[in-house]
Amino acid sequence: MTDSAAGQASHESSRRTETAIEAVALCKSFKTPVAAKGRFSGIRSMFSREYTVKEAVTDIGFTVEKGDFVGYIGPNGAGKSTTIKMLTGILHPSSGSVKLAGIDPHRDRTKCASKLGVVFGQRSQLWWDLPVKDSYDILAHMYGVEEKDKLRRLPQFDELLALGEFWDTPVRKLSLGQRMRADIAAAMLHDPDLLFLDEPTIGLDVNAKRNIRGFLKILNEEFGKTILLTTHDMDDIEQLCRRVMVIGGGQLTYDGTIEGPRREIGLPTEIKITYQGRYELPDEWNAEDAAQGPADLFVRVDEAGPAGAAGGEPPTLSSASGVIGRAELPRMRIVSRGERTLTVEVNRQEVRTMDALRELGRWGEIDDVEMREPDFEEIIRRVYG
Amino acid sequence: MNTYIKLYLLLVRTSIRSRMQYRFNFAFGTILAAFIQLSEFLMIAIVLAKFGAVRGWSVHEVGYLFAVMTLSKMLYRTFADEVHHLERYLVEGELDQLLTKPLPVLLSLMPRGFRLMPGELLQGGGILAWALGAMLAGGQVTWWAVPQTLFAVLTGAVVLFAIGLATATCGFWTTRISMLQNMTEDAAQTAARYPLTLYPGWMSGLLLTALPVGLVNYVPALYILRGELGAWVFPLLAAAACLAVLLALRFWKFGISKYQSTGS
Repeated sequence: MTDSAAGQASHESSRRTETAIEAVALCKSFKTPVAAKGRFSGIRSMFSREYTVKEAVTDIGFTVEKGDFVGYIGPNGAGKSTTIKMLTGILHPSSGSVKLAGIDPHRDRTKCASKLGVVFGQRSQLWWDLPVKDSYDILAHMYGVEEKDKLRRLPQFDELLALGEFWDTPVRKLSLGQRMRADIAAAMLHDPDLLFLDEPTIGLDVNAKRNIRGFLKILNEEFGKTILLTTHDMDDIEQLCRRVMVIGGGQLTYDGTIEGPRREIGLPTEIKITYQGRYELPDEWNAEDAAQGPADLFVRVDEAGPAGAAGGEPPTLSSASGVIGRAELPRMRIVSRGERTLTVEVNRQEVRTMDALRELGRWGEIDDVEMREPDFEEIIRRVYG
Repeated sequence: MNTYIKLYLLLVRTSIRSRMQYRFNFAFGTILAAFIQLSEFLMIAIVLAKFGAVRGWSVHEVGYLFAVMTLSKMLYRTFADEVHHLERYLVEGELDQLLTKPLPVLLSLMPRGFRLMPGELLQGGGILAWALGAMLAGGQVTWWAVPQTLFAVLTGAVVLFAIGLATATCGFWTTRISMLQNMTEDAAQTAARYPLTLYPGWMSGLLLTALPVGLVNYVPALYILRGELGAWVFPLLAAAACLAVLLALRFWKFGISKYQSTGS
């Protein structure tokens, strides 16, 4: 090898290590043969050329840098698992391409697989009928992990995930939380740089979730592992992920920081006031518009382009909503009214809480105030759901 | 290659150890399989005793055809039973896990179903010994027939494996494959237990080419027992087995790229 070739190669490899995942225009459509009816339907549908085509994923593209911790969320059936399976080389995309650290997981599946850790929350990769420790022995052979590396890593995993308590138990007798801990350790045994987790906390209790989140955090922060996980648990996202991608209907509807949607959409804080007695609603607030659905207040992000990236104004409270009132009044929206209680929404990007409370205080003698911050799940549900 | 063989043996040991967790089931299953095989043997014994010679094939020659098919099938199913049961992996999406391992899928798949089949071995071996013994005594064949027959059993197992693999691969499109297996595996193998001259031309042609179960026992028997054709039969068998398995493997690779998995 000449010097320049060597230089180029090392340059290549250093460039490769920066991008952990590169997905370009991924599409996946599933063909399901239409079941024939009538006589010999079994055989006829086997040879039938009729298909229904379902587009599971259309034109998804993104890159993930090394060391990132990405949450991949969306409703059931949106295409999360399909994407993960394409990224990990299980499913071949109908079109588009994937590169993991520069390697195509479909063309070089076995080579790529040795550098990946994959955990499916719903399935175990452990040997069901054998003691947990046996699975690690077999996996170590499969991935060509040296004995000394195995003996170094397993105590580390044990310390963080408390595997010791069920070391000799057959996998089928583990609790769900134990099994998931064991599975995650199994995925990390060959020390991959890239870890995919499909719903790793599904069905787990609070302790098990905390334990697993702690482990993933250490993997990411101390060992620089790149992690991509799907979940329905927004606490996973808020506690772990720096970046979140939202998929809906097979397409990416948001890709950015967690704070992004909160900031840009400005989801309202809900204030529930209990008055000591009856309260007077001033005329200018006494509009019928209070019946409007809260969603009308907000511009959907996908209309304005993902994360406002498509140019134009960032989504804010729509000026079209009639309840907002005159300039000197704080922009609030009445959600519900009771005899002594009143619930309003304010966008705290625009209205200071004290201003809102001052206005509310004019209407009656306040007895109690409850405030509820918008949580991430609600943002997602309202904007992407 | 060496590491693959080591890994294969490790996975076979693992699979056996897993099943030994249910010792009663394991032992009972093995014994039951042997009994089923025995009852099947009684069936064939009745057929042979009743009809004896078939279209110029003596009772021993028909027994030989049956025995070679049984032994080849036993070898194929000992090592690749899980290929035959691929449908389970397709329907339940179990193939996902195998695809995330840094091994060829067949290497992680096949050891899972490894099983010894003493019933088939005893039955096939017994009938073969009886048939060959009688023909040796009658001077129809020499002792050379024994290694030649073992060779035919081996290449036959490879051919059956290729047919089984290609059939299973169709499951990547159709998901369910048991219907197709009934035709390409069960029916075809049963048909080839009798001399192919029994069937109309198109059918025996089919069983020698597209669905080459005739290569397992009929073609070798023509030479080994009856001195027809020529010694070139053996290189032909080896070449045909290699070709069949290579084609099946290519088809399999293509099929894997069409794997649809399941929802989760």
